[in-house]
Amino acid sequence: MSVEGRKKALRELFAPTVDRLGYKFTPNDEDADFLLEQLANIEAETGVPYCPCQARSKDRAADMRMVCPCIPFHRKHYDAMRRCWCGLFVHKDVTDPDSLRQIPEGRVK
Amino acid sequence: MFVKALDAAEIAPGGMKAVTINGREIVICNHAGTFYAVERACGHAKARLERGALTGWILTCPLHYAQFDIRSGEALSGPAPKAPAGAHPDPRDPALKTVGLKTWPARLEGGAVFVDVQ
Repeated sequence: MSVEGRKKALRELFAPTVDRLGYKFTPNDEDADFLLEQLANIEAETGVPYCPCQARSKDRAADMRMVCPCIPFHRKHYDAMRRCWCGLFVHKDVTDPDSLRQIPEGRVK
Repeated sequence: MFVKALDAAEIAPGGMKAVTINGREIVICNHAGTFYAVERACGHAKARLERGALTGWILTCPLHYAQFDIRSGEALSGPAPKAPAGAHPDPRDPALKTVGLKTWPARLEGGAVFVDVQ
């Protein structure tokens, strides 16, 4: 098993899923590559591709809500940011992902 | 030497079927009209892979969800973790390593799929 092979597989598996949700991979290839590598490493360690930018707890149900792509569990929050929390996925119409900022969930109206 | 495995019409795109050729158990996969031949037994716990799922070129085992690249046989991921209340042994037990699948050349000719089983 190689990290590079897993990164390509995650791209293949995630692309159709996020497409149906109105999202796409960030056009910033360097960020996408870095985040996919983190996902592959976390999956190799835990068996599950948890979001690399969210803290896991000991509550399995809560942790399952951050398995990538976690968009369906945070729809209102991510739609407000037009990106997911780590930035691997952005709304389909986004061309400049660096202009998007993280907004804490509690501040989303 | 290439041997006829089955008629191409027997497997729709995205489908798989197990065949036995010269005593070898093989799964023929149809990925968008291109056929691939891989070992039937999963590289993790020997489950029958044709009962799994084919997503593009990624074959997912039905038993513990290990994944493989049908084009090269490379193991892409190991098994999913044990369920919290699961009564079965832990699929991620280090004693059960996940290895890649053996693959064989396959080609489509005259509406049939031929596999070179050496």
